[in-house]
Amino acid sequence: MCVAMVVTVVSVMTGFLDMLKNSGRQIVGDVIVSSGIAGLPYSDEFLVDLKGLKDVQGATPLIDTIGLLRMPYPRGNQKEVTHVQVWAVDPISLATVTDYANDLYWKPAENAAAAKEMAEDDPRKNLSEKILTDGKTLIQSKTGNPGIALGIHVSIGNERQRDGSYRPRYGWFMPENDVTLTVVPVSSQGKIAEPREQIFPVVNEVQTGIYEVDHNRIYIPLKEGQRLLRLDEAPLYDLNAEPDGQGRYPVIGTTPARVTKILVRAKQGVSANSLRAQVETAYASFSKRINADPTRNASMPDFVNVLTWEQQLRDLIAPVEKEREMMRVLFSLIYLVCAGLILSIFWSIVIEKTRDIGILRSVGASRLGVMWIFLRYGLVIGVLGSALGVLLAWLVVRNINAIHEAIGSDAPPTIWIGSFVLTGFFAIGLLYSIWRGKLLRILLWLLATLVMGLIATFLALHHGTLIWDPSVYYFTSVPDQVDWITAWTTAIGGVVFSVIGAAIPASKAADIDPVEALRYG
Amino acid sequence: MADHQNNLQNHSDKTSPLIEARGVRKTYSFGAVPVEVLSGADLIVHPGEWVAVLGSSGSGKSTLLHLLGGLDRPDKNGGEICFDGQPISVSHGKRLDGYRNKDIGFVFQFYHLLPELSVFENAMLPGMVGNWLTNRSEARKSASKLLDSFGLSHRLAHRPGQLSGGERQRVAIARALVNSPRVLLADEPTGNLDAKTGEGILDLLAQRHANGLTLIMVTHDPAVAARATRVVKLANGCVVQSSASE
Ligand SMILES: Nc1ncnc2c1ncn2[C@@H]1O[C@H](COP(=O)(O)OP(=O)(O)O)[C@@H](O)[C@H]1O
Ligand SMILES: [Mg+2]
Repeated sequence: MCVAMVVTVVSVMTGFLDMLKNSGRQIVGDVIVSSGIAGLPYSDEFLVDLKGLKDVQGATPLIDTIGLLRMPYPRGNQKEVTHVQVWAVDPISLATVTDYANDLYWKPAENAAAAKEMAEDDPRKNLSEKILTDGKTLIQSKTGNPGIALGIHVSIGNERQRDGSYRPRYGWFMPENDVTLTVVPVSSQGKIAEPREQIFPVVNEVQTGIYEVDHNRIYIPLKEGQRLLRLDEAPLYDLNAEPDGQGRYPVIGTTPARVTKILVRAKQGVSANSLRAQVETAYASFSKRINADPTRNASMPDFVNVLTWEQQLRDLIAPVEKEREMMRVLFSLIYLVCAGLILSIFWSIVIEKTRDIGILRSVGASRLGVMWIFLRYGLVIGVLGSALGVLLAWLVVRNINAIHEAIGSDAPPTIWIGSFVLTGFFAIGLLYSIWRGKLLRILLWLLATLVMGLIATFLALHHGTLIWDPSVYYFTSVPDQVDWITAWTTAIGGVVFSVIGAAIPASKAADIDPVEALRYG
Repeated sequence: MADHQNNLQNHSDKTSPLIEARGVRKTYSFGAVPVEVLSGADLIVHPGEWVAVLGSSGSGKSTLLHLLGGLDRPDKNGGEICFDGQPISVSHGKRLDGYRNKDIGFVFQFYHLLPELSVFENAMLPGMVGNWLTNRSEARKSASKLLDSFGLSHRLAHRPGQLSGGERQRVAIARALVNSPRVLLADEPTGNLDAKTGEGILDLLAQRHANGLTLIMVTHDPAVAARATRVVKLANGCVVQSSASE
């Protein structure tokens, strides 16, 4: 029992962590290079450098900023406006670093079997391949205009179904609508310029599985982002020269376009930490080269942050890790309770069986033999308990989403009516036992009737509560993988503690003096 | 009958003693007051003998028998007990366990059967608790043979609680004999039984003795002691030798 609890809780939390970490990698790649708001120039050249590194699988530039998004649907008597995290990306290379292409939600079924799996009213049934390619390129192929991809929970239009798929809510199927994005450019001196807005057609929606991301983030093409944020290529004016008749300064060159982040993905089997070191050196030599080049119109910032995804997502991961360790410690205390339980039960058995143990000793059982009898029971209890515990935990964890759903919905009438019927049977048993007049039986039947009645009433009155509210947790489903390392250590711990609990009474049993034990009949 | 026993007696005189206790002392302390129950008891038993130790209640008969059976140990420097020439009082641990298990059989006044086990399981108990190498099928065979000869074959699956006192004592004797020990130690084997049932038990012991088993029996009842080939008295913590019962 104890084992089941520990394994379940720690498994879910570990699964949760793994999910967090995995999707963390899927979302930001392995290593993130980020600069200040002024951005990194010459990112194309740096990307070439990065891709030349032997451990780099891919790298992608992006601009990460905040913006406001005006939705096509109303809120009150205005259109709804929501704040979003804007990622201006190059979708093609982004797909080599993160799971972007796979995370695009709206796509037709891959094959006939998958199509069959989908519910009758699933909108994906009627989608063409075009929506996926539009999402992958962030270009609306119908018009050739740059498009926007929204996190799946950005709009209210997507209603999550029990099977994890989505249906348009209130008829708002976002990929048929336009949204207006407003961003605020910031100059390299940190001054805020006039906000700029642009209408984008929604080309697709993105489901990373991390609620925080899916609720906030939108994706637009890098070029559009650079233009809106004034990070694009711009003419460089000679401010020392005389302006011409219209007050314009002569152009002496162009300043390069900029990005604020570069995401890098490691090749299979390369650790994020070692890649981080490589990227850092690569940047140092790259910036040295650029800054030494007099023909350049912009210089590289001296300092950029090069972080692994784990460092980047520290704030997300650390609390969960701490919680899990807390849980581990707290639940491990249960071990002591288990050991204590076994100890006291065995102790009273030894006391009660003192005479019998004396008999065993008198016919030649050795002290070790007597000890072994009790240790063996402790071992059996431990092994059996641990096995049952792990099994139970496995069942619970594997079905945790179904259980969660069941708790989250009304109890089916057959079940609660059935419980009432069972209560009725127990009540009949109670009456019968009263008639028979056996006190213990009356008490047991009474208890059974009351408990069953309570359960039935609870089930009848129960109206689903979702424990795992996707707006509270990062993920949209509960992790359902058993953490086998924890399962094994917990199970072995359970066995060890059972044996320890049994060892003390067993030693007492071994110490029993046969003559003393047999003295009185 | 007497002739036969005399033959045995003569025969045993020539052999070395099977059990030999010399100067055995045993002291119990009631709190601070030590009470010496045995103060230098000597007893020599030859193979094939049936010795009865006669003594009043509280004279230390059970204590002596426990010491002979390796259930308890004499005081420090409190004499020596040898079985087949080997001292047992200094041995401890496994050797003592083996001695209890294989070399002797012990019968108690209060039977001391395990209530959870069946008659058959009780009888083969010494065959199960011995070391790992104990041959269980042999113990099984031996137990069923003994119970059969004691007229208990229809009781094998019963619990001890369902048996009469005499039947229980017969199960206890079967248990004591299951590993074919060379000596049977019996502590007031009839003490808890009515006279007639007690006779039955004594007949049974006599039959075993006739088959060559060495017996040491403790009793406070001279009539019971009379069944033995030799009677010794225990008084003031010492064994007072007396002649053979003939
Ligand atoms: N474990 C013990 N602790 C203290 N006294 C004991 C113990 N065992 C026996 N005695 C005492 O030793 C004496 C002899 O006991 P026991 O050998 O049982 O006598 P018997 O069997 O002849 O009746 C008794 O007075 C008894 O009270
Ligand atoms: Mg006695």
